[in-house]
Amino acid sequence: MLEIKNLHARIGDREILKGLTLTVKPGEVHAIMGPNGAGKSTLSYILAGKEDYEVTEGEVLLNGASILDLEPNERSVAGLFLAFQYPIEIPGVATMTFLKAALNAHRKAKGQDELTTPEFMKLVKGVAEKLNITSDMLKRPVNVGFSGGEKKRAEIMQMALLQPSICILDETDSGLDIDALKVVSEGVNALRAPDRAFVVITHYQRLLDHIVPDIVHVLSDGRIVRTGGPELALDLEKNGYAAYVADAAA
Amino acid sequence: MVATPVRTPAEQALAARYPAERTSLPGTADVIAIRDAAFGGVEKSGLPHRRVEDWKYTDLRARLKTFPPAAGPGDVARVLIAAPAVEGDKARRLVIANGRYRPELSDLEDLEPGLSIFSLATALEAGDATVLAALKLDDAVASNTAVALNTAFMTDGLVIDVAEGAEVGRPVELVHIAEGEPAASTAVRHLVTVGKAARLTLIETIESLDTVAHHSNVMTVLEVGEGAKVDHIRLQLEPDEAVSLTTLVARIGREANFDTFNAALGAGLARAQIFAEFAGRDAQAGFRGITMLSGRRHADTTLSLIHGAENCQSRELYKAVIDDEARSVFAGRIAVPAHAQKTDARMMTASLLLSEEAEADAKPELEIFADDVQCGHGATCGAIDEDLLFYLLSRGIPKVEAESMLILAFLGEAIDEIQNQAVHDALIHRVEGWLKARAA
Repeated sequence: MLEIKNLHARIGDREILKGLTLTVKPGEVHAIMGPNGAGKSTLSYILAGKEDYEVTEGEVLLNGASILDLEPNERSVAGLFLAFQYPIEIPGVATMTFLKAALNAHRKAKGQDELTTPEFMKLVKGVAEKLNITSDMLKRPVNVGFSGGEKKRAEIMQMALLQPSICILDETDSGLDIDALKVVSEGVNALRAPDRAFVVITHYQRLLDHIVPDIVHVLSDGRIVRTGGPELALDLEKNGYAAYVADAAA
Repeated sequence: MVATPVRTPAEQALAARYPAERTSLPGTADVIAIRDAAFGGVEKSGLPHRRVEDWKYTDLRARLKTFPPAAGPGDVARVLIAAPAVEGDKARRLVIANGRYRPELSDLEDLEPGLSIFSLATALEAGDATVLAALKLDDAVASNTAVALNTAFMTDGLVIDVAEGAEVGRPVELVHIAEGEPAASTAVRHLVTVGKAARLTLIETIESLDTVAHHSNVMTVLEVGEGAKVDHIRLQLEPDEAVSLTTLVARIGREANFDTFNAALGAGLARAQIFAEFAGRDAQAGFRGITMLSGRRHADTTLSLIHGAENCQSRELYKAVIDDEARSVFAGRIAVPAHAQKTDARMMTASLLLSEEAEADAKPELEIFADDVQCGHGATCGAIDEDLLFYLLSRGIPKVEAESMLILAFLGEAIDEIQNQAVHDALIHRVEGWLKARAA
């Protein structure tokens, strides 16, 4: 589903990813853990196609096709979704207008007709309800005036609407209290499906209690330095990253 | 020795036109004297250029290539069938075609009590004392070139009175249409007086049925009475070939509530001037507008506001979207004399540049002589925010559509202040049309 091969990337003169390789199969949930500065957020931005980063080597295949030459919107309609660590506030753009534009872009790419307004409203309301997103939130501009938890729930709502095949969750647990973490995790778990995979990027084991991964990777200094099962996350929580940071530096 | 500056073709055309036309323009000898004085000023100084501070960023002398002849009467049938610029606003449309008020094309049925509408040309011919008095302007206004040319060449316009306490329910829409070829010029003056505690919504549309280099000069002198509420909106929609000069002179009475909005959406060279003054205490006013430019168009918004009375509040918000090699100018001056304590004024202008060659010039000026005031101003200029754009793209929205959403959001802050829903919707429709044309 998602194959990252020997990916090298830099921002300015600074090389951040130094040969990252990762293969995610349909239905799997991968967790990527690692210390600050390991390159976790860089990886998510590069996958989504942010311009600030330059890929110098390697490739990224989504369902067998390279996505590195695609624009961010083309990657989205190809099935990639990034849940932002810091979802952006867009004053003046109504949430519903935004959701409708996104959904219709996806439908158009699939050769489907645009949804009628009643169909669209019904769809959004159904998804929003499960994530405790009130109609008042939907009436506001995109993410404006949302609390940290509301923003993360809104990201999961977008994910549920767009039905991506690969979901990248960038520190979705940051800024969440226990209750919000539960709602968000339930939203993610509800989307788990045999034809959909997840890459969950996080600092902490906490999120992985709720979204249980199949495979856990440790990212340090721009490379995957260790791969294991869910028990690896527990070990990290207990012993920290020190051992892996030292490994990477060696 | 006196050096005689070289006259540009436009100046030569003006110098030839005025003596030939002055006696055939409407008005008594008194009116001719007022016209002579106005034209004399323009002839003496020539068209203003970049070394004249008020015209620094809009060098009229360099930019006015010609000054076309006076417009003929035009083809009334074409004007009659022209689609209205604003649909569904139930406005009372008063048509000014090629500088002439056309009552036969206008809606004069069931005038609300207290509303009176007359032709300026008729009043000038009759030497109406009130109208003559209303032609007198402060020196700073009268000597402005666009104003002086309007005074010299005005052919007609509307004299509108709203009596004390009258609430005019239907908006009054002044529809300016230029019709015919070749290019011609028009000068129109409106005198609008809104009495004490009266209400009026005044809409102006300025358009041309032909894509030729018409020159239009539309000036509205508005008296907002004590406690009156006046909403003024202008949609300037001429084709890229046109030159459009507009001037609003507003005197705002005590406890009055006044809003004006200018949408600069047309003409290759456009200048919208506002000379406003708080004439009585405790009044409120909003000055807002949007400018959308592409190609090599140039649009200038010049605002001069005298906060001349105590405890008045004003808000100024002007937003410009500039593409290609176009250029937008905003000059905003707020003067607060020593006696105008408790003045509260906030002026903001923001420009969104959509190309490397686009230019925005902003010149906010505050002149404050009172000590107990709150006055602020801000000016921003920048490209579309990359982070916002990336977020929209990452959800699958194509780039041009995402940019359009962000441009509309940028302008929305100003547009959403328009109270009249039909005009608001008509404007949004125009803005979306502009964005579609850009995306194509």
